[in-house]
Amino acid sequence: MKQASAMRFLASAAIAIGLAGHAFAQAPVKIGVLMPSKSLVGKQGLQGAQLAAELINADGGILGGRKIELVSYDTNFQPTEGVAAAQRLLNQDGVKVITGEISSTVALAVAQLAKASGALFVAAVPKHPDVTKGGYDRVFRLNSTTAMDGSEFDGFLKNDIKPTKVAVLAENSDFGRLTIANMKQLFGAQLVAAETYEMNQSDFNTLVTKAKGSGADLVCLAGSNMEQYGNILRVQEELKFAARRCLMPGILNSRGVQIAGKAAEGAFSADIYVPTIQNAQNQRFVAAYTAKFKETPEKIELLGFESVWITAQAMQKAGTSEDTVKIAQAIRGNVWNTPRGEVRFDKDGQASSGPLIRLVVKDGKIVPMAR
Amino acid sequence: MDMLAQQIVNGLSAGMAYALVALGLTLIFGILHVINFAHGEFFMLGGFVAVLAAKWLGLPYLFSLPLAVAVVGAAAWGVDRIAVRSLVQRRDGLSDVLLSTYAFSLLLYHGTLGIWGPAPARVEGFEGSFDLGPVTLTNQRLFILAFGAALIAGLQVMLTRTRFGRQMRAMAQSRFAAQVVGIDVAGIGTRAYVLAAAVAALAGAMLAPVILFSPLMGSNTVIKAFVVVVLGGMGSVAGAVVCGIGLGVLEALMSLYLSEGIASAVIYSLLIAMLLVRPQGLFGKAA
Repeated sequence: MKQASAMRFLASAAIAIGLAGHAFAQAPVKIGVLMPSKSLVGKQGLQGAQLAAELINADGGILGGRKIELVSYDTNFQPTEGVAAAQRLLNQDGVKVITGEISSTVALAVAQLAKASGALFVAAVPKHPDVTKGGYDRVFRLNSTTAMDGSEFDGFLKNDIKPTKVAVLAENSDFGRLTIANMKQLFGAQLVAAETYEMNQSDFNTLVTKAKGSGADLVCLAGSNMEQYGNILRVQEELKFAARRCLMPGILNSRGVQIAGKAAEGAFSADIYVPTIQNAQNQRFVAAYTAKFKETPEKIELLGFESVWITAQAMQKAGTSEDTVKIAQAIRGNVWNTPRGEVRFDKDGQASSGPLIRLVVKDGKIVPMAR
Repeated sequence: MDMLAQQIVNGLSAGMAYALVALGLTLIFGILHVINFAHGEFFMLGGFVAVLAAKWLGLPYLFSLPLAVAVVGAAAWGVDRIAVRSLVQRRDGLSDVLLSTYAFSLLLYHGTLGIWGPAPARVEGFEGSFDLGPVTLTNQRLFILAFGAALIAGLQVMLTRTRFGRQMRAMAQSRFAAQVVGIDVAGIGTRAYVLAAAVAALAGAMLAPVILFSPLMGSNTVIKAFVVVVLGGMGSVAGAVVCGIGLGVLEALMSLYLSEGIASAVIYSLLIAMLLVRPQGLFGKAA
C-alpha cells in the first residue's frame, strides 16, 4: 500500500515536472490589444488583431515556436479607461508591447504612458498627427494622417474632377472642421456651401436642401459615421440633387454603401487599402477573415491585423519579445509585407505604403477607380 | 422661394415625428403626473421591431406597424406593472417613477445593444418620391404626415368621445376625485401608459426608414420631445402637436440662415425663456 502511494507520488511529480518544462519552452508571447471593443469599429479592429495571432500561430509561432497570446481590454473611446487598461497590461499582465486603438485622444494618453514605462506602442487607427510626435522612439502608427490624405486627394479633386462649385457637408468634429478649412483654402470662392451637422443628427433633409440650393456640382462629405453619410447620400438621391458625390479619404466602407443603397452608386473616395488588392498576403488575409467572421475585411480590420502582425514579425527579426528598444529598431529598419503591400516607417514611426488607392462605388461594390 | 417651400415641407415631416413622440410623453404626464424616462426607448423599440420584422420574418413594411404596437405595448404593460403602477402610490412616488423608468430606459437600450449590436440598420419603407412644383416629397415622408395626422385625430376623438377618454381626462384633473366617483384609476393608468407607448412605437416604426434604426435613436429623439412638451405645456395634447410641428418648421427655416449649432442654441434659449415667462407652456393652464 505504502509502496503504491510512493509510486503514485513519483509518477505525478514526474508528470508535473514534465509539464512545467514543456510550458517553459513554449511560454507564449503576450501582446496587449486596446480597442473600444463594444463599438462596431472597435470590434472590427479587434477581430483583425485576433486573426493575425491565429495566422502566426498556425505558421508555427515566433522565436522558436512560441505562440502569440493576445491580452485585450475595452477602452470605450475614453482616455481615462485607455490609460487604466494600458496600466493593467503593463503591470498585471506583464506585457511589454501594446497595439491597437481607434481614438486619437486615447492613443495620445497611452503614448505618454508607454514613454514613461519604456513600453512599445503600435497604434492602429488613430489619425491625429501628434500621436507620433511625442519625442519617443518606441511609438508607431499604421493609419495615414489627415494631412497625408489631403496632400494627394486635393490634387485629384482640383485637377481630375474639376468642379465649378463645391459644397462640403461635414460632421461637427475636429475632422469635419479641419476639412472645411482645407476646402476653403483649396477652392476659395468656388466653395459655395460649407455646412456642419451634429454627431447625433439623424434627419438630413434641411442640410441637403441647402446644399442643393447652392447650385454645387460636387458635394464632399466629411464624417466618419457611416449611418450619417449613408443617410445623407440617400437624401441627396431622394431630393434629386444630381451633384457628384465625394467622400473624404478614409471614410468610405461597405456598410455605409449598404445603408445608402443605390444612392451610393458613383460616389468616390480614396484609401490606403481595398480588399481586392492582388497579392498572396492579401488573398490569404481576406480568405481567412471571411471564413472566420463571415464578412469581408476592410481598412479597420487590416489595421488591427497589421498592428499585431508587424509587431510579431519584428520580435522575430529582433530575436526578443522583451527588449522594446531592439523591437523598435527592427520595425523602423525593415520593409514589411502586409495585405496592403509594402509598409515602411519614417523616423517618427509613421507608416506609409505608397499612394492612396482611388475608389468608386460600382454596382454596390467599392472598387479601385480606373485611372 | 423654392428653397423656402422645400424647407417648410422638410420641417413639417420632421415636426410630425417630434409631435408623435411628445404626444405620448405629455399624455402620461397629464394623466399619471409622472415623467416617463423610458418613453424614448419605446420609440426606439418600435423601430427595432420594424427592422426585425423585415430582416428576420421577411414581412412587408406595413405589417411591421401593428406588430410594433403589439410588441411594444406588451413591453410597456410590463414596465408599468413593475416600475410605474406600484411606485406611483408611494409618498415620494413621482420621483421614484422618474428613477425607475430611467433604469428601464437603460435596460431596454443595453438589451437592444446586446441583441443587435451598435450597427445601424436600414428599413425599407414606401420607396420613391414625387414633385409638387419645386418641392420634392418622398412617399415615406408623405405617409408619416398623413398617417400621423390621422393618428392625432383618432386620439383626439378617443379622448373626447369615448368612456375611456373621459375617464383619462377625469384622472388628469384629479386622481382622488376620479377614484371617489368609482373610476379604476390604476387600471386606467396602465391603459394610458400602454397607449402612449403604442403611439411612440408607431412613430419609431414610421421614422425608421427615414432616420435609420440605431439603438441610440430613442435617447437622441426624446430630448427634443421634452423641449416640445415644456413649450406646449406639460400634459397638453394640443400643445404637443402644435409645438412639435412648429419646432420642426422653425428648425428647418432657421437652418437657411443660421448654422446648426446656433439654431440649437436658439431652441434651448426658447425653452428657458418659456420656463421663466410662461412656465405652464403655450397651451397649459396656469396653476
